[in-house]
Amino acid sequence: MMDYSKEFEMIVKAYEKSGGNVSNLLRKDIASIIINGDRVIGLNSVQGVELKPQKIENGVSVDMRIKGSIKNPIHICTGYVGKRGYQKVIFNITVEKNSSVSFISHCSFPWSEDFTHDAEMYVHIEPGGKMEYRDEHFHSESGKINFISKVKAVIEKGGYFADFFRLTKTRVGKMDLFMEISLGEEAVGHLDATVRASKDDNVSIKEILNLDGKGSRGIAKTTAVALDKARVTVINEAYGNAEGTKGHVVCEEITKGEGVIVNASPILEVRNERSELTHEASIGRVNQKQLETLMAKGLSEEEATNLIIKGIVG
Amino acid sequence: MLELRDIDFEVEGKRILRKITMKFEEGKKYSILGMNGAGKSTIAYVIMGLEGYKPTAGRIYLNGEDITDLPVSERAKRGITLLWQEPARFRGLTVKDYLTLGGKLNLKKDEIAQILELVGLSPLLYMNRTVDEGLSGGERKRIELASVLLLEPRYAILDEPDSGIDIMSLDMIKNVIDWISDHGGTPILITHREEVALETDESYLICSGIILKRGKSKDLVEYYRTTCDKCDHINLPVEKVERK
Repeated sequence: MMDYSKEFEMIVKAYEKSGGNVSNLLRKDIASIIINGDRVIGLNSVQGVELKPQKIENGVSVDMRIKGSIKNPIHICTGYVGKRGYQKVIFNITVEKNSSVSFISHCSFPWSEDFTHDAEMYVHIEPGGKMEYRDEHFHSESGKINFISKVKAVIEKGGYFADFFRLTKTRVGKMDLFMEISLGEEAVGHLDATVRASKDDNVSIKEILNLDGKGSRGIAKTTAVALDKARVTVINEAYGNAEGTKGHVVCEEITKGEGVIVNASPILEVRNERSELTHEASIGRVNQKQLETLMAKGLSEEEATNLIIKGIVG
Repeated sequence: MLELRDIDFEVEGKRILRKITMKFEEGKKYSILGMNGAGKSTIAYVIMGLEGYKPTAGRIYLNGEDITDLPVSERAKRGITLLWQEPARFRGLTVKDYLTLGGKLNLKKDEIAQILELVGLSPLLYMNRTVDEGLSGGERKRIELASVLLLEPRYAILDEPDSGIDIMSLDMIKNVIDWISDHGGTPILITHREEVALETDESYLICSGIILKRGKSKDLVEYYRTTCDKCDHINLPVEKVERK
């Protein structure tokens, strides 16, 4: 087994690569979890944050319970410093009534070659509770990472949930991202995924809004840049199940490369006559006017395209 | 010198420009004056070489070099640039990123700040804002003006530089024109406003895709004021205007 300090050093290095601020993992006033492979190698809790990790086959499961208003975001660092393997991570998160919390998660696998990261997150937000989850991924350039992610959230009356997923700095590999939220009365939900796929990356994204409670509102948004021979499939769905509900589905896919295959399928289903659902979808090259605006300043088409994409994916 | 010789431009058989011949000498300030729909912006797009704006006939020369078939970026590298009447928005790009073209232009923070102030924007408030829908039309236009100035172009085609900016800012537009001129550039203003054209030395008066008159801006503005406002030439086919 790897020496603990060496393991910690490597995972921290991976965390930094993904844009994480290491000092936050060491602060006593910030709750944090550090996971490498199938082990929790760092854990810090603060008042109002209950973290209960347990080992499962090939991975880790963590039960989290949030009570009160948590001042600093909870930092999660999930990594794998080996080249080959399988990692299962399960988070069960409960945000108690009128409590609020935000998470900053970095998942980093910079050296992996033949590796599967299988993540599941189950969220329960009690009435009036609020939760925001920002998840940034950093994969190796091998293109052989298999990434599976499932998020299911139930948001009760007046609650709020937002999940922002980003994988824009590295290759993706193979990715299957699934996010589904069920919104109770007057609850608000926001799903947002941004991905940059290149070479022969294969991306599948599905976001589902279940607008179950009266007056609930939600948005499911995906932004994908597909380069080279990447394949990107996006299916975003919204179901208006109660009166006064409003849902909006957005899919923007920008392509560059003769071998790309992309598709977007918005699915809207109204099951209550007083529900309003809308969608926007666009697929294609970067906008011609944007391109020519930058080219009229001396950038080549390639440079202009890259700058526009940089803005979109951050 | 930038020169257009006998430029015709048609779209699906409809003649938009007819026999446009213009000369823009370095060191002077020009305007292309005309009512809405006269074809002024089309001339700008043809000079810049935008997609879909290749002349049906005629050539464009820059200091004797035929640039008619050059792509937009090559024309820009030779010192021609364009301020769009309604500039594009860019999601996620900060003003600083946009003005430096993602770091390609090696500009000091002070240089950017000075230009932002010239166009009436506080560097502190705007440097890190994004060039997206969050900006008003006027703010976006001012940022685009700043971007043009930072390029220090030899020929700056400014398509309705004052549109979207309140009338009180005519002084700012004058400062922008002077700045371009003082830095060795030739401003070419596309406008339908007499007071904007009066800030330039020479003008071309355009109507329905042809040049009606050319000469000193003061004289042309007088003709425009007394004649064009009362005229029914607007949006007539080119041939009908020629017959009149």
